[in-house]
Amino acid sequence: MVTTPDINCPETHQRDVTNLCARVGGMLLQHSAECALVESITRRLGLALGMDGVEMALMANGFTLSTFRRGRCDTTVRRNQDRGINMHVVTEVQRTMLLAEEGKLDAAGVSARLDAITPFRYPRWLVSVMVGLSCAAFARLGLLARDAEADAATYLITFLASAVAMQVRQYLASLHFNPLVNFAAAAFIATSIAAQGVIHGWVDSPKVAMSACVLLFVPGFPLINAMSDMVKGYINTGISRGVMAVLLLLACCTGIVLAMTVWDAWTWL
Amino acid sequence: MNTFLLLLQDFGLAAIPAVGFAMIFNVPKTALKYCALAGAIGHSLRFSLYKIGPVPIEWATLIAAAVVSMIGVYWAQKWRAHPKVFTVAAMIPMIPGVYAFTALLALVEIERKGFTPELLRTAVDNGLRAFFIISALAVGLALPGLLIYRRRPVV
Repeated sequence: MVTTPDINCPETHQRDVTNLCARVGGMLLQHSAECALVESITRRLGLALGMDGVEMALMANGFTLSTFRRGRCDTTVRRNQDRGINMHVVTEVQRTMLLAEEGKLDAAGVSARLDAITPFRYPRWLVSVMVGLSCAAFARLGLLARDAEADAATYLITFLASAVAMQVRQYLASLHFNPLVNFAAAAFIATSIAAQGVIHGWVDSPKVAMSACVLLFVPGFPLINAMSDMVKGYINTGISRGVMAVLLLLACCTGIVLAMTVWDAWTWL
Repeated sequence: MNTFLLLLQDFGLAAIPAVGFAMIFNVPKTALKYCALAGAIGHSLRFSLYKIGPVPIEWATLIAAAVVSMIGVYWAQKWRAHPKVFTVAAMIPMIPGVYAFTALLALVEIERKGFTPELLRTAVDNGLRAFFIISALAVGLALPGLLIYRRRPVV
């Protein structure tokens, strides 16, 4: 796509750099980097590759980017499609930009390095087990803060419910379901499993198990990103990320309430 | 329980969600141990400030997030990666998930059963606490950028 820059044809070079910047900005936005980072990496890459200036306007689902060089201006608009949080991609893109800034990569080199980035993912079963353990740890942490105790069955059922729910969440995500549908369905399953412990009286702290097993659905990254964006002046994207996070929470609530109605286990409030 | 043991338990337990959620965020393998350490430091610092010490939970969260963020800046410069790669996963154990869910479920209950002052109080109390803690986390994380790295990038 991007050819070796032709020194004799500055327009071609500028167009290539504009495309590269747009690609970098797109990759960062798709993998949930905060706006300040997206803008700074894109701008620094453009400047490193010989532009006089790079300007960017970020929106929730797209961005506009312009590069300037010797009075000539190239502008492009790109759509942003959410591909899920991936810090590995963000790290690799940032290192590519740093290499370009140090003069170790030219436009062709940057393009080749970006091509080589394949989003890294952990094995699904491992993530599910770790998230199950995380929610059991959350249950214990919550009790520590209140000087309370619970029996082993509480932690066990929390682990089971959240590990199964995480597996379902990853499976539904791989089928490209809307995240809202996905979260509601997985929260229903988590609460249903925890509710069994409540109904059959296996656990001595039903509220702990019911509340800890859905903590894997709290959109922590989007919430922090939303606040960070707004603190740094990107109010627009901050609001849209925050609204999305609250919608995800509401979708989970639907799943939880549905499960509590079905099993008639109202232990939350 | 002995205060020191309590703190040690909190330290160890907080590392687990930090790693678990770092895996959801696909943090590179080499950075996982830093997420675990930062998560443990952050949560146990907050725990000691508001549970053992007299600091309100929101301020304790702000201090803990700021400390983790400073450590994150140091690691970021060493590893040539953005500090958020390490620090956001470390914030996860401090996210007020139970408060947020309780607030929203109380709203759903108001819709289902009709208005009662108790339910509204639950919703407002928990919702505000969740909002303030999340704000404290985000501001704490941004603090090195706001105070020290004002017009230059961290990495």
